[in-house]
Amino acid sequence: MKLEIQNINHNYDVEVLKDLNFMLDNHNSIAIIGVSGSGKSTLLRLMSGLEKPTSGTIKINDLAVDNPEYKKHVGFVFQQHNLFPHLTLKRNITLILEKTRSKTKQEADEIAMKYLKLLHLEDQVNKLPKNVSGGQAQRASIARALSGNPEIIFLDEPTASLDPILTHEVLTAVEELKGLGKSFIFVTHVLSFVKDFADYVIYMHEGKIHECGTPDILDDPKTNELNEFMKKVR
Amino acid sequence: MVSNSLSLNKLKTIISYIAAIMTVIAFMVFVALRQTDDFSFEPFFPYRNVILNGIKNTIFVSIISLLGSMVLGFILYLLQKSKIKYFNALIDVFTEIIYGTPLLVLIIVTAFLIGPAFNSYNRNLFGVLALIIYMSPYMKNVYKAAFSSISHDQYLAMDLFGFTPFQRYFYIIIPQVIRILMPPLMNNFSLIIKGSALLNLLSYPELFFTIDVAQSRNFAYVEGYILMWGLYLLITIPLSQFTKYIERKLSL
Repeated sequence: MKLEIQNINHNYDVEVLKDLNFMLDNHNSIAIIGVSGSGKSTLLRLMSGLEKPTSGTIKINDLAVDNPEYKKHVGFVFQQHNLFPHLTLKRNITLILEKTRSKTKQEADEIAMKYLKLLHLEDQVNKLPKNVSGGQAQRASIARALSGNPEIIFLDEPTASLDPILTHEVLTAVEELKGLGKSFIFVTHVLSFVKDFADYVIYMHEGKIHECGTPDILDDPKTNELNEFMKKVR
Repeated sequence: MVSNSLSLNKLKTIISYIAAIMTVIAFMVFVALRQTDDFSFEPFFPYRNVILNGIKNTIFVSIISLLGSMVLGFILYLLQKSKIKYFNALIDVFTEIIYGTPLLVLIIVTAFLIGPAFNSYNRNLFGVLALIIYMSPYMKNVYKAAFSSISHDQYLAMDLFGFTPFQRYFYIIIPQVIRILMPPLMNNFSLIIKGSALLNLLSYPELFFTIDVAQSRNFAYVEGYILMWGLYLLITIPLSQFTKYIERKLSL
């Protein structure tokens, strides 16, 4: 995956990201870490095209994220599963495939089942999101993100609302996806997962990329801030 | 074991309801037995067809008012959400005035002042219009609550998957909103049914008016009001039961 971030500024009411410039190539699993309010979720949302930056451009694999084509190449997993609550786990996937990817009912069904099985949900496919556990719902939303066959999957703190057991369950499921040949960009607080799964780490601090590199930087931080962060998280 | 305790719970609920209904009936019987005057619905028997017609008219205007206020309420909702400040202000002022206006006054003003100002002396029409206007801010709130129940993230997801505006409304938004809309909508319908009694001021032959006419001839005033009470309950209780059923059926 090739990632180019140029002159990104982003404000809500306050300045969240400040003059961000960044280039990266040949990494397929990028973790973004940092304290709350450091701008990491915002950066993820901008890279996924979910939100538009106040100024600046982002290109991933040479495609600008504001290009309408780009959305077809990405999948997004939200903090809280964000499945459509009135649809079953399976329908959450087939509806999208039928209506926006012009698949037939049967094709959509096959694809949905394939990914739900991959996430170990074959027994839950006809349940509504409210009738499954948080971990199962989150796995279903990962299946939904995968079902459009995207190149890149974004995960925005996928386990933030889950207890440690469900967190483990979801993250293990994500690790099993390594062989699919997809790229992952994710925000998480679970550092063991970062070490296991990421091949590149971006540490955000006060709206800037403060330190970045292979996961080794977590064991040997160069900056005081990351050092402090690691102490607190441990 | 689970299903056992579940049905036991259900049994308890049913018994509680029967006990509650008995309590109300006991109170009514007590009140009835304490009366010294004669009490009979018989004097209303000759008016049964007129009263039946009154029930029909009450249901008719209530449905018209429900539909009308749903449409007007939706327009108000859209104007309130509009980016044009003037519309927001207009809706605010309108809502404030309606909240403070007795329905009775609104019906009189609409039928006797506003109607004629537009060269219309069709009082029934303007009476129903008053009912529609009166309910519209409440309907607006119902829409507001329903639509705000769809999270920002859901809109982002629809965006991400590339749903067209039609697909968004048809497959995602409306199916969810209807579930939330139904119960308050039906509550408002009950308000409308009771509110429609005030249309008797315009001599519209709805339930209240027809019984009122009968009362003025047979002088059975108290009985007339009791009869009226019973007939309104006969319309509103099945409606609210139906609402609860829908609520259970659609709940998320």
